[in-house]
Amino acid sequence: MASTDEQIIAELGLRRERPWSIYDYPNLIRAASVLCFLSAWEIYGRRTDPLLLTYPTAVLSAALQLIGTGELPRQLMASLATLGVGFVLSVVLGVGLGLIMGRSRIAEAAFDPHMNALYATPQVALIPLLMMWLGLGFTIKAVIIFSFAFFPILINTASGVRNVGAAMVEVGRAYMASHRQILLKIIFPAALPFIMAGVRIAIGRAVVGMVVAELFTAITGLGAMLTLYGNLFETAKMFVVIIVFGLLGVALIRATQALENRMARWKETERATR
Amino acid sequence: MALNALEETALRDLDLARARTFRLTDHLGLIRGSSVVAVILLWEFFGRDVNPLFLSYPSAIARATVQLLAAGEFQRQALGSLQVYAVGLSAALALGIFLGLLMGRYRLAEYLLDPYVYALDATPRVALIPLLLLWFGLGASARIAVVFLSGIFPVLMNTFSGVRTVSADLVEVGRVYGAREGKIFTKIIIPASLPFIMAGIRLAVGRALIGIITAEMFAAVTGLGALLIRYSSALATDKFFVPVIFLSLLGVILSRAVEALERKMAPWKKTERAL
Repeated sequence: MASTDEQIIAELGLRRERPWSIYDYPNLIRAASVLCFLSAWEIYGRRTDPLLLTYPTAVLSAALQLIGTGELPRQLMASLATLGVGFVLSVVLGVGLGLIMGRSRIAEAAFDPHMNALYATPQVALIPLLMMWLGLGFTIKAVIIFSFAFFPILINTASGVRNVGAAMVEVGRAYMASHRQILLKIIFPAALPFIMAGVRIAIGRAVVGMVVAELFTAITGLGAMLTLYGNLFETAKMFVVIIVFGLLGVALIRATQALENRMARWKETERATR
Repeated sequence: MALNALEETALRDLDLARARTFRLTDHLGLIRGSSVVAVILLWEFFGRDVNPLFLSYPSAIARATVQLLAAGEFQRQALGSLQVYAVGLSAALALGIFLGLLMGRYRLAEYLLDPYVYALDATPRVALIPLLLLWFGLGASARIAVVFLSGIFPVLMNTFSGVRTVSADLVEVGRVYGAREGKIFTKIIIPASLPFIMAGIRLAVGRALIGIITAEMFAAVTGLGALLIRYSSALATDKFFVPVIFLSLLGVILSRAVEALERKMAPWKKTERAL
């Protein structure tokens, strides 16, 4: 049997070498593309007015300079601290209220119109009002980040809880599980994939909230650096900050995805049955 | 349907026809309505006691709305914002769908472009606003650029992943029947990825709205965002709420409109989701 298979493969020439194809090396194409772009930018950028456009090597030296003086790490830490506080707050309150709204139809009916109205309002528009109420300190940034990140978590948690099969809850009740046990052992784990999807959306929005908050309050943090160097026309330093924001975005999204895979492993099988 | 005698007795015995006891969950609409009314009343009641510099109240906001609409200033700024929004968003949708199709269908385009697309997609676009203002000045072009950059990536990423999920079998069948590349795009790939594209458009509409408001607030020269800054600097809290309410209504209307369009243009999405 095996020998005939081999024979057929040999006869049809299926074992022949595949011709070399550029598509087998996608990273080569990517690298070439990025290299071309960077060199074109370098050449063109050097000729342009440095007030408007900078070039890669200048950005690199600006980055080294900002790291060397400790300004970038310090402002990054300040930004991350507000991000952490605002985000943790929105996870705790979002999941908590989401569980309540998902479990109780009365709570849902009572909160739903307000939550939808607040979610529909672009949260940036509320920043001036928040600034009047809370001043320019740490609190306002945390509150703005919270307002950006809260709603996706709330809405996903509530719809996750509503999607928990009634049969599972019934089984729990039949085995005399207490309310607490039903909530912690059945509803929460079953809703976890939804919650984590909400967290993933929320982290992106939280970063946007952080940037916006710092742009408008402009005292501490990376966003303040962006405003400062924009006003000073130091374009290279602005690019450094923008790149840090990009890296931060990638790192946070990767981290949430990893957490999602770890915490909600059953999501994969659930998806596979579709 | 008439019940037979046996069923009648069974019903009577079980007493199923009795009036159900009053339950709160049977009157969800009532709860919803009274919750809204309660919040508005509380706001009106307590808002009057708070310093008007910090918090307004519903009737003051209604008065401010009438006043602003009569002056015509609000309509003018709103129209300016909407024009910029429309131009930037159309450009974002056109280019986003085009690049998404290109990257989804041709691997060379994918590998050439995806480093930039992923990098820019991960960067919060609001961080680009100071740079864009530096480049384009305070006029409409900077705001169009912000709207464009805010809107393009959701559409592009969704179109891209939509095209990649189009089954190779479908394309093969098309090719077997002698369809050219153009036909394959218009008859197979675009219809098959339309639900994804529409989902991307829905995201883009919201993101672009946030983009334009942020840009206008930051530049503080024209548009609804500038009105927000102007009224809050003037501590005219009642007037401040008028653009806020307009923007949230606009957000709701736009996302409803896209959803309706989605149902009209890609009705097969429902069944696909149910599978």
